[in-house]
Amino acid sequence: MPFNGKSGKFNASINTVEIGCGEKAIKIGGENVLPFYTFDAAIENAPKVGVMISDLGLDNEPAGVKAYYEGCTTIAEVAKKAAEMPGADFVCLKLEGADPNGENKSVEECIEAVKAVVDAIDVPLVIAGCKHVEKDNELLNKAAEAAQGKNVLILAAKEENYKGVAAAAGLAYGQKVGAESAVDINLAKQLNVLISKMGVAQNNIVMNVGSAAVGYGFEYVVSTMDRTKAAALGQGDKDVQMPIITPVADDAWNVKEAMASEADMPAWGSQEARGIGMEVSTAASVLASGSNAVILKHPTSVATISKMIKDLM
Amino acid sequence: MCLYVFIDLNILWRLIMPNVTFRYEDGTATVVAVTAGENLLEVARKANVAIDAPCSGNGSCGKCKVKFISGELNTEKTRHISDEDFAAGWRLSCVSTVAGDVEVLVPDIASAYKSRMKVADLSSKEEIAIFDRAKQDVEEAGIAFENDFSIVELTMEAPTLEDTMPDNERVIWAIQAAAGVEKVKLTYQVLKKLPDVLRENEFQVNAVLKKYGHGVMVYDILPPAEKKIYGLAIDIGTTTVSAVILDLTTGELAAKASSGNGQIRYGADVINRIIESQKDGGKEKLQKAIIEETLNPMIQNMCRSIGIDSSRVYHMCIASNTTMNHLLMGVNADPLRMEPYIPAFFETDNVDAYDLGIQVHPDANIVIAPNIGSYVGGDITAGTLVSMLWNKEEFNLFIDLGTNGELVFGNSDFMMSCACSAGPAFEGGDISCGMRATDGAIEACTIDAQTMEPTFTIVGGEGQKPVGLCGSGIIDVIAELFRCNIISPKGKFIREGKRVRHDQYGIGSYVLAFKEDAAGHKDIEINEVDIDNFIRAKGAIFSAICTMITSLEFDVSMIENVYVAGGIGSGINMKNAVQIGMFPDVELDKFHYIGNSSLTGAYNMALSTAAEEKVYELARNMTYMELSTEPGYMDEFVAACFLPHTNASLFPSVVQEDI
Repeated sequence: MPFNGKSGKFNASINTVEIGCGEKAIKIGGENVLPFYTFDAAIENAPKVGVMISDLGLDNEPAGVKAYYEGCTTIAEVAKKAAEMPGADFVCLKLEGADPNGENKSVEECIEAVKAVVDAIDVPLVIAGCKHVEKDNELLNKAAEAAQGKNVLILAAKEENYKGVAAAAGLAYGQKVGAESAVDINLAKQLNVLISKMGVAQNNIVMNVGSAAVGYGFEYVVSTMDRTKAAALGQGDKDVQMPIITPVADDAWNVKEAMASEADMPAWGSQEARGIGMEVSTAASVLASGSNAVILKHPTSVATISKMIKDLM
Repeated sequence: MCLYVFIDLNILWRLIMPNVTFRYEDGTATVVAVTAGENLLEVARKANVAIDAPCSGNGSCGKCKVKFISGELNTEKTRHISDEDFAAGWRLSCVSTVAGDVEVLVPDIASAYKSRMKVADLSSKEEIAIFDRAKQDVEEAGIAFENDFSIVELTMEAPTLEDTMPDNERVIWAIQAAAGVEKVKLTYQVLKKLPDVLRENEFQVNAVLKKYGHGVMVYDILPPAEKKIYGLAIDIGTTTVSAVILDLTTGELAAKASSGNGQIRYGADVINRIIESQKDGGKEKLQKAIIEETLNPMIQNMCRSIGIDSSRVYHMCIASNTTMNHLLMGVNADPLRMEPYIPAFFETDNVDAYDLGIQVHPDANIVIAPNIGSYVGGDITAGTLVSMLWNKEEFNLFIDLGTNGELVFGNSDFMMSCACSAGPAFEGGDISCGMRATDGAIEACTIDAQTMEPTFTIVGGEGQKPVGLCGSGIIDVIAELFRCNIISPKGKFIREGKRVRHDQYGIGSYVLAFKEDAAGHKDIEINEVDIDNFIRAKGAIFSAICTMITSLEFDVSMIENVYVAGGIGSGINMKNAVQIGMFPDVELDKFHYIGNSSLTGAYNMALSTAAEEKVYELARNMTYMELSTEPGYMDEFVAACFLPHTNASLFPSVVQEDI
């Protein structure tokens, strides 16, 4: 008897969420199969790669990143250059300067940067806060307002500040809401329920279910993403059918493999190559576990991951 | 120079032995001399001043508030006391130390736990019906209601100069003839009273006998009019102790009483009690608190109410959790809380009232309902007997809601049991406005979805103003706040109104009763921290149910009946308990409140030797599941910490108002 392959496609599918507008708008999600299982059914929207830029400039960036942006003096110029990076689908502006425990820039100052970036690029934009829940509440509120009409994704509403952030982004200014939770499927689902109950449409929500650099408790990340996709597709659980976006750059470049200098660790080889290695392997792993988009910062990583996606699709 | 020394000594003297005055609301006071620097809560404990300290005095619960009146008291301001309250003199006694003479006011809410000991009115038919039903169920399952005690009427010839047989032989002869037994032994108690009782009653007496191998032991000699033999059943809960005196011949209830557990001032939960028992003299202190301060006064009060001497109680059975029975007997309980969690005993066989100093007949044997694990004790094995799970083919679930939640699931073929730590929330602990179900407790509540105005049922007489919330009241309030969309499924406030407010840290609260409508000094509020604590407690119960049932590859639809027991009160609104996701969403008519099953179980064991043996058999056949080592439990717990549950499809009947 001949072997008859049975398609592993599911009856349920991940929501399709569109970010940005015009020709360069992107769609993430929409699949009804496991990550990269194109042999079971076509995956309409390939996973997307974003480039992270920071309002703090390029001073602390590795040489390869500095070289790529050489000649850029303003955030607008940096954003423009990021948008042109080979393999990039979108730009993520991270307003880390707002952090009260850091530079503590005023909300107004940050909003200037948002406006400059919005005007400079035509690719989709993701705006990330400074991770300080109270400051982000105000900052992301204003950012959502400043980017009105651009259909940006706001990262992120957390359990502590979802009321303000999701109301501004998802209800008042028609943006997409990022829902961030800490590596636990139940907490991810609970936040989606809370945000949905406020009246934000489920297809306007993108999840960040939490991540880590590979080797740093990463098995929790894998199992959370695996279980989330299994619940969304296998059980048709509408409360977890949102696509997943995973910011990788911060985690990958902040572990000792990426930070230890060559002087301290001569046997480990080039520091920058190590950082790229962490970023690429983390991104590849979260994509294989179900992320629909990743945010990276090094041009080599962006090129590598976008090629990987292309080859696998 | 001389003057200087004089003043200095004076100050020194005052510093060494300051007086602490605990003033009560009724104006009376306790004065005690202490050493400067002593902790106020410790002083109160030593002086037997009742201040509730569920967290054992580590500053985490905020319950031990007293009002500073005058003198010298060093204190810390904690998050439990607002600026306004601090200015008004409120202090947490556990973070206050005595600096000199000081006078503080002990408010009623702090001593609420020591709620007047209640000797219940047995005219209430419902009260008696619970015991009758429990006895009837057990009897119908083929358990004989017989015990070792009997009473015989004896008529003897009075001794004469010719008939010189001593009293004890005279009685033994008479008993041999009347009861048809060879071997008869007299207890010391009987020997001691024998000459007087015989002569006062002209050698016409009743003898109380207990079967003893092939013979009998004479427990008592009574005047001919006294025909009753009494037994005692006690449930020792971590928070509440209840007891009944019963007629060992007929099973009829003679008296019933309840009281707070005197050990409460040494910590609200079993872990804190064990820790306290490990301190110097701690075992003795805790044993004294339960026996001398709790059990003996209860027994005396009950006996007085029916006009008997407490030595007329010849047999007793105690059902309690494992920690409570270890502490009762003065046995080291520390291994219970340490891996691998091993109790000193499951069963006991030879403990007499005399050994523990319990004021009943000194030879009364104490039957202790057997334990099956560190956290599943005799209260559950006794309760399982009356839940009748073991005699039914269909699968039933038995839940005992207490400081620890305990579950038994199964049928006549097998039974599984587990315990989860729910904390004291069901009995009002861990909740800022929480209290036990005594006078002033809000036991039921509904909220108007539009106006957000609450309506209450309050424990106590007509006109009783609210003091706080007891377990069933908390379930109602949270269920209603959620139904009316005032709180989110995470328990955070999402509507604004007159009764919703936020403190300086942004923590939301709902005012149940404004100051002018409340019995105490301030508004009665439930805040987000309280709600969060309760959600964890209910999450612990529900996730335990889920984990145990799924470990058997069953699901909740297979549960035929849910028997709910415990001190949470008969007022528990099952619909609301389902609304908040505490109990599985099965038809409401499947839920049955069976009262204090630990006490009714102990009652059956005291009354029937066969029932006692059945409990031993049940305990040996029950499988104990240790939840803390179950890998899926934590995950289930996080999923259950949501209203009603992260997986809303488990609760199809839960509805919310559209606002």
